[in-house]
Amino acid sequence: MSTLTLTRRRGLAAAGWLGPVARRLGSGLAVLWAAATAAYVSLLLVPGDTVDVLIGDGLDTPERRAQIVAEWGLDRSALHQYGDYLARLFHGDLGRSYILQRGVGDVLASQIGPTVRLALAAALIGTVLALALALATAGRRTWLGGLAGLSELVAVSVPPFLIGILLLAVFSFTLGWFPVSGDQGLVSLVLPAVALSLPICGVLGQVLREGLERALEEPFAVTARSRGITEWRLVARHALRHALLPAVTLTGWFTGTLLSGAIIVEAVFGRPGLGQVTLAAVTGKDMPVVMAVVLLSALVYVTVSTIVDLTYLAIDPRLRSSR
Amino acid sequence: MKVRWGVLTLAGVLVATACGAEAQSPTAAAGGGDGGSLTWAVETQPTTFNPQQWGQNKARLLVHNQFDSLIARGGDGGFLPWLATSWKVSKDGLTYTFQLRADVTFHDGEKFDAASVKANLDQFLVPGYNAAVAAIQLRNLGKTEVTGTHTLKVTLKAPDGLFLDFLSSPYAGQVSPKSLKNAKDLKAGGVDVVGTGPFILDRFTPGQEVHYKRNPNYNWPPAGSAHQGPAYLSEVTYRFLPEAAVRVGALTSGQVQVIEGVPATEIGLIKADSRLRFETSLNSGSAFSYYFNVSHPPFDDKRIRQAFRDAVDVDTVLDSVYQGTAKRAWSIIGQGSPQFYDASLENTFGDDPARANKLLDEAGWDKRDAEGFRVKDGKRLTVRTVASAPFVRDRRDILAQAIQAAVKQSAGIDFQVRLVDQGTALKAYEGNQYEVFENSRGDTDAGAALNLILPKGAAINRTHYESAELERLLDEASAGSDAAERKKLYAKVQKFVTDEALLLPLYVPADQVAYGSGVTGLTFEPVSGTPNSAYDVRIGT
Repeated sequence: MSTLTLTRRRGLAAAGWLGPVARRLGSGLAVLWAAATAAYVSLLLVPGDTVDVLIGDGLDTPERRAQIVAEWGLDRSALHQYGDYLARLFHGDLGRSYILQRGVGDVLASQIGPTVRLALAAALIGTVLALALALATAGRRTWLGGLAGLSELVAVSVPPFLIGILLLAVFSFTLGWFPVSGDQGLVSLVLPAVALSLPICGVLGQVLREGLERALEEPFAVTARSRGITEWRLVARHALRHALLPAVTLTGWFTGTLLSGAIIVEAVFGRPGLGQVTLAAVTGKDMPVVMAVVLLSALVYVTVSTIVDLTYLAIDPRLRSSR
Repeated sequence: MKVRWGVLTLAGVLVATACGAEAQSPTAAAGGGDGGSLTWAVETQPTTFNPQQWGQNKARLLVHNQFDSLIARGGDGGFLPWLATSWKVSKDGLTYTFQLRADVTFHDGEKFDAASVKANLDQFLVPGYNAAVAAIQLRNLGKTEVTGTHTLKVTLKAPDGLFLDFLSSPYAGQVSPKSLKNAKDLKAGGVDVVGTGPFILDRFTPGQEVHYKRNPNYNWPPAGSAHQGPAYLSEVTYRFLPEAAVRVGALTSGQVQVIEGVPATEIGLIKADSRLRFETSLNSGSAFSYYFNVSHPPFDDKRIRQAFRDAVDVDTVLDSVYQGTAKRAWSIIGQGSPQFYDASLENTFGDDPARANKLLDEAGWDKRDAEGFRVKDGKRLTVRTVASAPFVRDRRDILAQAIQAAVKQSAGIDFQVRLVDQGTALKAYEGNQYEVFENSRGDTDAGAALNLILPKGAAINRTHYESAELERLLDEASAGSDAAERKKLYAKVQKFVTDEALLLPLYVPADQVAYGSGVTGLTFEPVSGTPNSAYDVRIGT
């Protein structure tokens, strides 16, 4: 969300909550439709006959070819096919993986749980850690602030797989506190979630601290100080609200990092999840699965950014009031 | 050792339990040869658990837990009885008559008999089931007839010395005919594609692990097995840990008992640890080699090919890249295939910069440019290799860089290394835009590898070299079933391609395992050189 949109919205939002919410849902649906269309076009653009592409490395028999033609309506006009495809999506039918020979919905459903748990845990850890770091160090030009900034920089620049291996070396191989691999309850979630959260924490922490420091130099901060409130109250009660907006804007990036990072982290820690499915589908050219993953990412992205935009309204009342 | 391992395992159990992780079975610490559960970390998750779709050498160690093949291989490369107790080959090499074991049952309760073997062989002829096997390994398969409950006759269209090798490969892993018909997902395999093996696959979590439990009725191991009856372990879990450092850490911290795929950089660490054991075995098939594309300059000139080969001090290069852990190759066939390897080729070429420079001068590449590369008619002596990134393993990218430095320094050859995606690599091969093609193959019968690389028009003949003489030798060697005769013919093949300087052999690929000293019975398949199944493995004792 750019500031441009924010400014425009400031002028247009007339009916408090209702307008922005409806508009946001509408644009979310438009993005999903665009993603579905792009996925469909990419299927047509991949070299080779569409039936060949859909079969991939799967069983190639005349019966199966006939089945695919029927299933995708490949004997009809392109526009008709596109309409059918959208209609099927609308009914939640994602098609079939001809390599795994299972419904794509099934494939994703069986693997989505571990990835969601991992991503949510990483998001939570990343956010809490970044908030704590920023609140503790903002405005204090001490060694503590310098140290925090440096660790944030390291967290951002070191690739997640290296972070993962380092964490494993210390906490699993040496100290033996956590198991190396698998999805065996909460304990096995800790290290992968931390590995995935550190880059997020790094960026978020920097943005938050800068936001806080900028806010602390604004006139309202001077006024507040002159009223004699403590520095801590000033940071926590007043400056934070201002610093949150740019941080929240990062959520889109944040979601992307979680999704792409999960693929690597799942491999390092030997965890099940969507990462494995995606990797296998891309290398095996399993188009129905690839298309479904694209759609799923778009859905997550749209959902998250919708929630974020609504959160803006909650954080900054000016955005929902008329004038 | 025993005590120390016990303590280690106990510590592992305590840690795991304290963390709420899946606790080791207590029998693991007790050992005693009966029961016990083992966790084994492997590098690669198989793309399929159906043995007849098998294609990754790295998946071999899993296949024979669940499936038995018709025949086995012995340490000398000979064939041994397994599910087939004996076989007779007719004089003309066209008819094979098999006697089968009568006491074998599939995991789903179906009886193993001649009809089930026929169902398995016929399955390969179903269009699209495994087109590559139908077209290559089984191209000579005529028909399969059931001649008795446990006797079977197979007729070939032409003599084929590689047919028995096929029957000893994972492809001949016997699948219950019921699952061939009803499996939900036949090509991917899994819990409902069942065999007759010592373990039953009962759980597969993609990206995480595959779990097998003991088949209590198992009593038909291949001849040459270390024991009879059911497997020692009551269960075995293979965890997929693609990252080498993670596998080694999991082993040293006692979280897994065995790892497969040990990188050269970690071997010293493991050997220095008295709680651990390390073993390695050379793979069968062709050596990892640089093949020269003779279809255009400069490698259409034999002298340039010889010069490239002589310009590299292979021992020094291997030492610097693999720290002395790689076995130098001397021929297109590696030392991992001793039944065909021609040792007389050793030390007959290589590491001779003086000769390399003389050959290049003779061939007219006698001038140098400002950077020290040889030039002729204003063109630099450049050769290119194109490697497809997904297939680069064993630090072969680093190896290429070392060779690049070697040929530049000793002979002024500009060797360009390009690491690209699979599509780009294929395009370069199809467009003949390369001079060096790098490859190794893990076929148990090295002849199978040579048939794919050397004849005109073969699937990976990327040297574009053609010779009627060479093809006659290869044809005779593949058709024959007399081992001594085949060895003689393949010796001629090896001499031929060495004399023609068709390739620079580099090293013999190998498999490695490392394990806690409490684990015993871990062995390698004698011919393929890959780790065996967990049938003979136990903890303690």
